[in-house]
Amino acid sequence: MQNADVLIVGGGLVGCATAWHLARGGAQVVLVEAGDIGMGASGQNAGSLHFQLERRFLENGEALAEQAAQTAALNRLAIDDWRRLETELGADLHVVMDGGLMVAETAEQVAILERKVARENAQGINTRLLDGDEARTLAPCLSPGILAAGFLADEGHADARSVTRAFAQAAAASGASLHSRSPVTSASRIERHFEIGFRESTVRAERLVLACGAWTPILCAKLNLHMPLYPVALQMNATERTGPRIGHLIQHVGRRLSMKQTDAGNILIGGGWPARLASDPRGAFDPAGKPVLIPASLAGNLRAAIDTAPFVETLNLIRTWTGVTAISADQLPIVGEVPSMPGCWVAGGGSAFTLGPTFARLMAQAMVGTPTPELDIVSPARFEHLNSFMG
Amino acid sequence: MAERYDLVIVGGGPAGQAAALALEGNGLAIGVIDEQLRPGGQILRQPPREFSVASWMTGKVYAPLLKQLRQFEAATGIDWLGGRSVLGLAPDAGHGFALTVSGRDGVETIRASRVLLATGCQDLAVPLPGWTLPGVYTAGGIQAFVKSQQIVPGNRIVMAGTHPLQLLIAAQIVASGGTVAAVLFAQKRRTMMRQLAGHALKAAREASALLPAGAAMALLQRHRVPVRYGESPVAILGKDRVESLRSTEREIACDAIGLCYGFVPQSALPRMAGADMIAGSRAGGWSTECDAWFRTSVAGLYAAGETTGVAGAAAARTAGTIAGTGIAIDFGLVSEEEATSRVSHARSERARHLEFADLLDTIADPSGHFPRIEAETIVCRCEDVPSATITPLLDGRSANAVKLASRCGMGLCQGRNCEPTLLRLLAGSGRTDEDNGFTARFPARPVMLGDLAAPK
Ligand SMILES: Cc1cc2nc3c(=O)[nH]c(=O)nc-3n(C[C@H](O)[C@H](O)[C@H](O)COP(=O)(O)OP(=O)(O)OC[C@H]3O[C@@H](n4cnc5c(N)ncnc54)[C@H](O)[C@@H]3O)c2cc1C
Ligand SMILES: Cc1cc2nc3c(=O)[nH]c(=O)nc-3n(C[C@H](O)[C@H](O)[C@H](O)COP(=O)(O)OP(=O)(O)OC[C@H]3O[C@@H](n4cnc5c(N)ncnc54)[C@H](O)[C@@H]3O)c2cc1C
Repeated sequence: MQNADVLIVGGGLVGCATAWHLARGGAQVVLVEAGDIGMGASGQNAGSLHFQLERRFLENGEALAEQAAQTAALNRLAIDDWRRLETELGADLHVVMDGGLMVAETAEQVAILERKVARENAQGINTRLLDGDEARTLAPCLSPGILAAGFLADEGHADARSVTRAFAQAAAASGASLHSRSPVTSASRIERHFEIGFRESTVRAERLVLACGAWTPILCAKLNLHMPLYPVALQMNATERTGPRIGHLIQHVGRRLSMKQTDAGNILIGGGWPARLASDPRGAFDPAGKPVLIPASLAGNLRAAIDTAPFVETLNLIRTWTGVTAISADQLPIVGEVPSMPGCWVAGGGSAFTLGPTFARLMAQAMVGTPTPELDIVSPARFEHLNSFMG
Repeated sequence: MAERYDLVIVGGGPAGQAAALALEGNGLAIGVIDEQLRPGGQILRQPPREFSVASWMTGKVYAPLLKQLRQFEAATGIDWLGGRSVLGLAPDAGHGFALTVSGRDGVETIRASRVLLATGCQDLAVPLPGWTLPGVYTAGGIQAFVKSQQIVPGNRIVMAGTHPLQLLIAAQIVASGGTVAAVLFAQKRRTMMRQLAGHALKAAREASALLPAGAAMALLQRHRVPVRYGESPVAILGKDRVESLRSTEREIACDAIGLCYGFVPQSALPRMAGADMIAGSRAGGWSTECDAWFRTSVAGLYAAGETTGVAGAAAARTAGTIAGTGIAIDFGLVSEEEATSRVSHARSERARHLEFADLLDTIADPSGHFPRIEAETIVCRCEDVPSATITPLLDGRSANAVKLASRCGMGLCQGRNCEPTLLRLLAGSGRTDEDNGFTARFPARPVMLGDLAAPK
């Protein structure tokens, strides 16, 4: 049996970034990934770096919006983390942080935008409210129908295809041992250790990090834990390449939409439109199955894109893909040590492309005893009641 | 056009036509969708009506296919939906399928209780240094010019590869007034003859299928077109377009090249629908897995013709007959016994064709004959990915992971062309895990955003 200080399950962005931070700090790290590195949500996402309050937090009541605003401290850290990332990893990740616009098309949406900007400013996020003309001066691709936009200079996007691989390479270079195509098949807590089985190996580790995205509840179940993370399937679209037309991250306050242009020139269009999750033979949702595209999602997403930036109407769609990510019971991420199982850490849910590098850094810090008050709001402690009957 | 059909057949080639004809007169609402304006499929690719082509598809082997085409065109109760591409298909709210179809009037949704995919095959794209220069075509690309418009896309054409079909295409070029500088077979003549001899019985029985190749040889000899064996292309040279081909033996001046290494099934739609696939022919690709009535693993979805494996037009036609009859069973129109006896002739005919197809497959086998790829040789031409980008990624990861890391397969063609090359590279690098290739994604053909968007 091999020993490690920390065993990480999941080779997505969160797992690989955590491995890098821990290995850099001198820990003996083993990371185990079921498939290939970065092929889960971390390789399927839209690559948005969004720090304005997300639309999903604004349409579910004041209480949620207020709670979400309290994650602003995490957002501020994430902005700094992303600005440093390419230098720290020594890799070209196509990080573009030239600003993001969250647009409004109706008077009602403008009002939501105004409240949102006030809330963000109170938390130290410097969003500015622009009128339609100001927004179009900044981003001429926007439709005349855009009445206002929240502008945050720190937003942007990065290449989701390369970020996770860069973290993995840096982790390996710092001495972490990464195992691809090695699904974890058993996990148990034995006294103060964890024993994790994959392929023909068993690793005994002091600490365990479950960073397996939508699969996290499945891994938690092996340890007799509940974790209220749920798989969701989303659709993304890519157009053919075109000349530079969109420099910013573009989102919509009242419709599901995110748009950006990649380094190669494709325009990526998403924004949280659902696909249909696959199910396993017993009828349970299967995060590993290929989700089924929902034509109405596709049609609605493209309509929102055209209404926002009309020039895309005549571009060719070359690919629509689906990806599976995790949301938590209260929509906020779940990151931290599980109170009823000391040594077991989870990190899942939320927009963990944007926030993943920060979650990873803070978890690594917390493990060596550095205070990380920013993580309090996302701690799994808030769901401990679910584990009070788990023995 | 109806909004809902009992059966939609995708593909109006020999297989699709035969299936439709097997079901004609049963009262089913049947729609046949094809990208081509007119029925015929790959083998009977018809010239557009505006072009009048004098000598379109004469010859004995075509006779039964032409006869079927005429029957199909005369059939009643079958909606011909030409000039439309199927972009995708998905289960439709628990009942049948919804097909997303693009045509001249934009994108429409066509619903069907059952769907038969008869989408045929395509040329295997084979990279070699210089293959992205203008003037380099697949054999099928050249044939499409010659067949449908009687245009020869060059003044001096070289055909190169392993598939005997290149003899036919060379002959078609010559017959249309073009010049063929040479036909190069990578394999040795001795090997081909030995393989033929080994199958002597089958070959003799199928002599009629080989007839066109014999006639083609004679025509090429008459025009003094050199046909050489054991000679492979090494590089294609030229500044802005093809100027010559360098082979293992010599350099041949030319202004167009047709590469002919075989065919792979069209697999975008069955894979998108989640049907089980099996490895295609020796040339590569994926065939749709089917039962004896051409049912796929997805309920209500059928596949026939070369989508299920490349075996020639005659075999595709028999498959269509069997599939159509099988669909009649599933609609409750005929008992399985009755159906079995109805297709017994088609089945025995098919068995013969498959023997011949196997022989052809053996002779045409490109494995071991693929040209060498240099570091700078483009593997994925849509995204301009050279082999040097891919090589360091061949560390055991999957085709999908290589795609994500390199962009190979991320372009307009959705990897249709580079996937077989990448899978060969993966196999050559010692990857042993089973690899199902790229995950098939919507749309099967590029389509304008405005055509797909919800109404304002
Ligand atoms: C379509 C889409 C668009 C998105 N857009 C954005 C965006 O624009 N911005 C943003 O911030 N976020 C976005 N997200 C969310 C973001 O992608 C995820 O939050 C983030 O990638 C999660 O990273 P992760 O490492 O936790 O999970 P993942 O990347 O899913 O990694 C989990 C890994 O665990 C592995 N695993 C599972 N079971 C086992 C096992 N038994 N043994 C070993 N390994 C196992 C999986 O194979 C997988 O690789 C999007 C998500 C999707 C699906
Ligand atoms: C270049 C080339 C040359 C060939 N020459 C010969 C030959 O000489 N002899 C021989 O026996 N065989 C030949 N074949 C094989 C030939 O394709 C078949 O034998 C025969 O045509 C197969 O019949 P099918 O009905 O299966 O498919 P096809 O005849 O290929 O018909 C398939 C039809 O489906 C349509 N289609 C495909 N995808 C879509 C979509 N997404 N939406 C709408 N329509 C779609 C196509 O337009 C096509 O008309 C050749 C193949 C190729 C590619």
